[in-house]
Amino acid sequence: MTGTAAVFKLAGVACILAGSVGWGLGRVGEERRRVEYLREILRIVRRMQDEIDYGKRTLPEICLILSECCGPLYGACFRRIYELTGQGDGAPVKRVWEEQVKACQAEAPLSEAEKAILGNLPQCLGMREEKQQARNIGRYAETAYESCRKAEGAYENKTRMLLSLSVLAGAFLTILLL
Amino acid sequence: MGREDIIHMFPERMRERWGKTAEHAGSLQEIRLRVGRPETVMIDGRERFVGTDGELRDRPSGKTVCTAEDVDEILGHLCRYSLYAFADEIRQGFLTVQGGHRVGLAGQVILEDDGTVRNIKYVRYLNIRIAHEVKGISDPFLHGLYDGGGRLYNTLLISPPGCGKTTMLRDLIRNVSDGSACGAGMNVGVVDERSEIAGSYLGVAQNDVGARTDVLDGCPKREGMMMLVRSMTPQVLAVDELGGEEDLRALRTASGCGCRLLATVHGESLQENGYNNNMRDIIMSGLFDRYMVLTRKNGRCEVEGIYDRNGRSV
Repeated sequence: MTGTAAVFKLAGVACILAGSVGWGLGRVGEERRRVEYLREILRIVRRMQDEIDYGKRTLPEICLILSECCGPLYGACFRRIYELTGQGDGAPVKRVWEEQVKACQAEAPLSEAEKAILGNLPQCLGMREEKQQARNIGRYAETAYESCRKAEGAYENKTRMLLSLSVLAGAFLTILLL
Repeated sequence: MGREDIIHMFPERMRERWGKTAEHAGSLQEIRLRVGRPETVMIDGRERFVGTDGELRDRPSGKTVCTAEDVDEILGHLCRYSLYAFADEIRQGFLTVQGGHRVGLAGQVILEDDGTVRNIKYVRYLNIRIAHEVKGISDPFLHGLYDGGGRLYNTLLISPPGCGKTTMLRDLIRNVSDGSACGAGMNVGVVDERSEIAGSYLGVAQNDVGARTDVLDGCPKREGMMMLVRSMTPQVLAVDELGGEEDLRALRTASGCGCRLLATVHGESLQENGYNNNMRDIIMSGLFDRYMVLTRKNGRCEVEGIYDRNGRSV
């Protein structure tokens, strides 16, 4: 009986530790996803800047390019924007962009300010010269770069902290149980 | 040119209203939008006013006027919300949009320090000129432009403004490129400085300029001719509205490389009193073997004749 109780206790301890470490890993994964999102946003904004500045491409064309070169995070979103605006349906790019990006980022682990980098980007569109337009977009690139740099800097510390915390929490619960 | 082509020029919210104008797509010549003024359309040479409900009227209703927001929205839509991509064209006062239609622009101009036009700040006037290709108009005249062995003569089209020389040139290019009973198809290089010949939109020709035609769109003629000769080895080089010694020099070089030439110039006739200085230089250059003269008689434009380099009708 004592032996069986000890086995149950050990199993309980293992479950608690696994659960708390799992929770910690989950949070770390979320943080990694946030960094990936921010890196992708930075890549998108910079690519837009280049396509406007050097290629003088129109926004629907840029969306088509982005749909092909972006990963799964934003690829489908840009494909949809291109389909709705590049086929002569008359839908305004700004409205379509805001709707699609909002839907795409709904579940993203980003703060509202970070979501706004891409979501509010159409507000700076409409310039009549490519250099001016690219410069305007550049301001969004700067914001994206800052967010990305901060998130990357904090990522390692947060990872260490979250894992330690989860192990400690598991140990604490184990002690309580025992 | 169909109804849908006209409808697609307008943003989503305006399409219903412009639907009735679009019914006249086949005979619609231009749409004029002026801020604070009624919108007008030209159908078969007759001016009509567009009412609130989109109905076409002979007189302005007094209620419907075009607003600055309307013009901005239409311009944005025509440029795919990417005005910067059309900056060079806007600077020249026109855009070519999908379908090869030309949109003339006017408003407040911004100048560079040296006095050249930098951009148009407030575009407040639009003139949408609907492109209508007239395929086959050059067919009856082709035999005069080839020798018996299927070799195309260097040909200059002479015409007063608005008499259809670009339309004729476009159809000639198509015929030369695709080939006809007079000669086999040839590779044609077109330098389309003002996007009038091919009506290119985002680099793609919207008008039928033939299967063997390469178009250099929006490029100055002199540079464009040299670029095409070097890179695309055209058998025929086509340019619109020759002017100046530099164009002639580039034509001479192209001709020296073995290219046949198709070109147009403003002029009234081949008679000396119909010359301007520009045309005299071109004729005196001896580059052209055939001159096709277009003229306006009783308000109608027609081909007056085709002449050889000695001025004899052929």
